[in-house]
Amino acid sequence: MMLKYEIKKVFSRTGGKISLFLLVFLLLLTCYFATSISYVNEKGESENGYRAVQKLRQAKKEWAGLLDDEKLRAVLTENARINAMPEGQAENNVTLSNITYGRKQGFSDISSLISHAFADGFREYDYYKADSLCAEQAGNFYPNRIRLLRDWLYDEAKDQFSETEKTWIIAQYEALETPYIYDYSDGWQQLFEFSPTIIMITMLVLGYLVSGIFSNEFSLKADSVFYSSVYGRNKAVSAKVKAGICITTTLYFIMILLYTVIVLLYLGADSMNHPIQISWKNWKTFYNLTFGQEYLLIVMGGYIGCLFISLLTMFISAKTKSSILAVIVPFILVFLPSFVSFFQSSVVNKILGLLPDRLLQISTAINYFDLYSIGQTVVPAIPILFLLYGILSIALMPVIYLEYKQKQLG
Amino acid sequence: MELKMNTLTKEFQTLRAVNGISYTMHNGVYGLLGVNGAGKTTLMRMLCTLMKPDSGSITWNGVDIFKLDGEYRKLLGYLPQEFGFYPEFSVYDYLMYIASIKGLRPTTAKKRIETLLSQVGMSKARNKKMKKLSGGMKRRVGIAQAMLNDPKILILDEPTAGLDPNERIRFRNLISELSEDRMVLLSTHIVSDIEYIANEILLMKDGSLTLSGTAEEIIASIPEKIWNCTVFKSEISNYMKQYKISNIKTVADGAQLRVISLESPCEHAVLESATLEDAFLYYFGEKAEVNEYDAEI
Repeated sequence: MMLKYEIKKVFSRTGGKISLFLLVFLLLLTCYFATSISYVNEKGESENGYRAVQKLRQAKKEWAGLLDDEKLRAVLTENARINAMPEGQAENNVTLSNITYGRKQGFSDISSLISHAFADGFREYDYYKADSLCAEQAGNFYPNRIRLLRDWLYDEAKDQFSETEKTWIIAQYEALETPYIYDYSDGWQQLFEFSPTIIMITMLVLGYLVSGIFSNEFSLKADSVFYSSVYGRNKAVSAKVKAGICITTTLYFIMILLYTVIVLLYLGADSMNHPIQISWKNWKTFYNLTFGQEYLLIVMGGYIGCLFISLLTMFISAKTKSSILAVIVPFILVFLPSFVSFFQSSVVNKILGLLPDRLLQISTAINYFDLYSIGQTVVPAIPILFLLYGILSIALMPVIYLEYKQKQLG
Repeated sequence: MELKMNTLTKEFQTLRAVNGISYTMHNGVYGLLGVNGAGKTTLMRMLCTLMKPDSGSITWNGVDIFKLDGEYRKLLGYLPQEFGFYPEFSVYDYLMYIASIKGLRPTTAKKRIETLLSQVGMSKARNKKMKKLSGGMKRRVGIAQAMLNDPKILILDEPTAGLDPNERIRFRNLISELSEDRMVLLSTHIVSDIEYIANEILLMKDGSLTLSGTAEEIIASIPEKIWNCTVFKSEISNYMKQYKISNIKTVADGAQLRVISLESPCEHAVLESATLEDAFLYYFGEKAEVNEYDAEI
């Protein structure tokens, strides 16, 4: 019963109700942007909406299957054939360029991968690279991925990683099973693209909601009755901690579930078991995962991040008796790293790589080359983040309880 | 049942709010009387385990209340001077929540709330939001929450503060009704709040208990006499400089003064019997809310 009323306290406030409406509005807005995919028809005109998604999906599905030399050769051949058409020859004509683009939509994902694989350097990207390649070069597609990495590691990034780390990254690249299986994956890609937005929005609203759980007893002058009650220094305090965890967990998973269902129902969930490297955004990542695995990582990372920041907010609320100070915490943790990242140095990067905001944006963090060496063991950032903030979250629970339980009233 | 304070002291920076108080309470109503800033609230907050004393101890049947922890708070009902609540909660929800942190099971809590709401005359307002209640209604909910666990020790800090005279009388009667078989400590700076209901009155000044006893004993302890005399209005200020005046009443041909003095202050002064109000003035050197006192008599 205590837990029920603690939760009721949070949502009975006008601010609590407004937060929920805001959350629903921002969820719908994010879903709108995430599902905004256009299809270019044979006239070079952009089409939007569900039918456009279906057309694009159909076009890409025609290229689904093993992404082997044969498929790559077919892509390069088809690309050359389209380029050779009168519309493909036209320069400075937007409509004709759009018609050409429309014809290439089906294999645009594979073209993007080719642009990465045949770039002049690991950090280069040439959008038109496929136009300059001949079908016979297709065989270098997978070896090039490893070659470019190796060149980068031993040249441009030679001081950035230890020898063990370099070996570990190359081994990760080599461990990835090839040839990839290609399929339409826009649903997952869009879902991942906007996942940091939805998770950060949820986090900020959660921060606001839980910031008053402890401090409001003081600001409302309800502390005397609370602490003079039989459970005021034990069960009632743990009910507050539980309420914070309960609100965080429930709201977070409701938001994620709604976001996932809306986006994937609209865009499709194809490629769940295919490697994330078939998306040009994840071409370079050393995390060998499928889309389904990355999704779980994003969801669980976001949850651990939200839980940790919620608990930290509650701790500050309990310690300082101030909701305002407490509510600032999530903002600092989410936005400060963006400002600090201007100071480029390996030490700063190492620290930034372990800040909790990374957990809220796993889809981005998965592309960072954040590695930590303990002796000869190389550990990438994401498992460390999970472990570190999982432990800190569990540790914070009794700390908050003890902090609030022992309060002396002035 | 014995609540004992042993040389209890509490300091806030340079201010000694409670200064070596020793006192033992049993069943009955105890009125803690003192001017604002006398240390009443600090003393009560220590009795409610909200703050620890700097020195001294409080024991319940011989055991330190801070060691008893929840076992002691189970016996406690407290209405603080500044009674805070959750503004968006209905009266019923508020009481249900307090019942839960007081360890009442939901079914017991529901029955108890119905009884108390009826007792404090709030049954019809049970679904009203707390923020919509008048000052008097809030206080009535305050006393209901303090009574939820049927406490053996009921501590009420200035329960009538801010109430109009009618509400105050009603509240006083309610406390009297609820005081059976328990220990009630009620602090106030308004003499009439406790004059008729307290079995024992404690006078508190500058953090110390200066006097305790029944109303009659405290009145009898005044070493001076009470005189009633009528003077010209122009003479009032002279009398006020010379004597402690416990009441001034304007009459047709001047003003009727109630003077505390060993000797007759004027020629036609009439000797009167002392009241607790006079004792308050005598011991604290200032008048106690005379206007409110007048309104009731």
